[in-house]
Amino acid sequence: MLNNREYLNRLFESDKPLIIYKDTNGYSVYTDLSDKIIIRKSNINNFIKKTLSSKKIKNKIFDGYIGFFGYEICCELIGVKIPRQRNNSFPKSIFYKPQTVIKMNNKIFIESTLPNFRYFKDLKKTNKKFYYKNNFNVNLSLRQYSNLFHQFSKKIRQGKTYQIKICQKYRNKSKIDSVKFFWKLMKANSSPESFLIRDKNYSIISCSPETLIEKNKDKIITKPIAGTLKKTSKTSLNKAKVFFKDNKKENKEHNMIVDMERNDLSRICRSGTVKIEKIKFVEEYKDLYHYVTKITGVLKKTTKIINIIKAMMPGGSVIGCPKINTLNLLNNLENDSRNIFTGSFGYIKSNGDLRFNIIIRSLLNYKDICEISVASGIILGSTAKKEYQENYIKAKSLLDIFKS
Amino acid sequence: MIYLIDHQDSFTYNLAHLLENFDDVYVSNYFKINNEKLRQSSLVVFSPGPGEPKDYPKSNSLYKKLKGKKKLLGICLGFQLILYNEKGIITPQKNIYHGFQSKIKVLNTSKLFKKNGYFIVGRYHSLKLNEPYHSKEIKITMRCMSSKVAMAVEDHKNKIFGFQFHPDSFLTHNGKQLIQKIISA
Repeated sequence: MLNNREYLNRLFESDKPLIIYKDTNGYSVYTDLSDKIIIRKSNINNFIKKTLSSKKIKNKIFDGYIGFFGYEICCELIGVKIPRQRNNSFPKSIFYKPQTVIKMNNKIFIESTLPNFRYFKDLKKTNKKFYYKNNFNVNLSLRQYSNLFHQFSKKIRQGKTYQIKICQKYRNKSKIDSVKFFWKLMKANSSPESFLIRDKNYSIISCSPETLIEKNKDKIITKPIAGTLKKTSKTSLNKAKVFFKDNKKENKEHNMIVDMERNDLSRICRSGTVKIEKIKFVEEYKDLYHYVTKITGVLKKTTKIINIIKAMMPGGSVIGCPKINTLNLLNNLENDSRNIFTGSFGYIKSNGDLRFNIIIRSLLNYKDICEISVASGIILGSTAKKEYQENYIKAKSLLDIFKS
Repeated sequence: MIYLIDHQDSFTYNLAHLLENFDDVYVSNYFKINNEKLRQSSLVVFSPGPGEPKDYPKSNSLYKKLKGKKKLLGICLGFQLILYNEKGIITPQKNIYHGFQSKIKVLNTSKLFKKNGYFIVGRYHSLKLNEPYHSKEIKITMRCMSSKVAMAVEDHKNKIFGFQFHPDSFLTHNGKQLIQKIISA
């Protein structure tokens, strides 16, 4: 019989579907995915019902469904239409029910509802041929980007939106060994909401830093990020704090996101319970600093899971403000489907608890194409060239794993 | 009851929670008005929102219908909507205030707030009231201390009030007190 470490390595080297999700002390690996549900607007309510009604909690570590809501379904759920866009017919949302969960902290701890999970025949080395090209195509040239930038700047001056973020995609031809790529990325840039999904015909990797929903019983938390400072030899945590505090542009952007997230929580929380628990603190990552606020609330008794999803998704900080009008503007001017980008990955437990992130700094490998998506905000006073460059910096940590 | 007309803004529910300190609040989209609830309400609030007053013909005609019959309060876009319907001109401003904290001063014209007092408030607006603006009934009662832009109006004859800033923002100090004065006006 394989010991825990051997089992885990074999699992990684196989092509068995699995999910890895960063948690506070390490990573959780979910596998033996027994149920896979492709979710549409028409079956989402049944899906949630099914998740919540699963009878017995057999699995102590995890009982529920894990997966993602893409951008498009988040829009559809709140009645925002998306006109015809280029797309690769990737599903709008997929959720899985894991039967085996492996906790990777200092030790490896495995729990499974299957008696003989270590012996499965499908745990042999993959024979897939992996390959990738190093050159990427960008879906928007600087000229096209500038054009969008100026159109949106005008909309801000007219008050049609207060802030808006344009998505850019880098694509290459490839079929990647996603687990290997994921660990490379984690070594370079492990952020608190990182995850990987490896299925038979696609994989998703993201080093998301942002928690959109953390719900335990009737308490809900969101931790919006607005403000990024790149690390250099001259920066330090203290200098970052001073930078954010004194930077008017970053503060204005951040204030807007805080009020917007307070609003989204207020839709579903009891009156007077929405509180800013920790305002404008700096979180340090390997390559950058983020400006973060933690907002909490107590859910109304009448709030259902679907209400939470509709109130919070797509996550405001990566869209702009106000949400509905900004989504409409974006959808009319962006020609490429966002797919998973600015959707949410996470889980719904059978007891109703939730954890969801915002999918940013993400890579989707599907039909032999890798698609890396990033976005940056249009702010009056900034220039198209600067924001275009900012997008490249954000994509860099993902682009770099193709070189290492 | 307070009726809050939502112009699909991302700050409306902050305002709803603030108003709920004083009474039950009913929120609906501006294109989906519940007439029965509207009839029951003693205060009707026009929410903030994107764009400018002329983008919302339904809210404009509702304003005209309710003027003089219900107490009205406009916030941000709602403030501009009141002035637009009272022959005011809403224009773009040179500096855009989104997520901006300002100090504003209470003018002598105010009957609700202590003259020469000031408030710290949060602002989210691209547009402003073009001045000079004159009206027999509506008085400008607060101004931004640095830009001098109109920040509040009062019309005690028709019981119409407006704030260009956001009493609901976390950037605003004493938001509850500001609303209290409107409730008791």
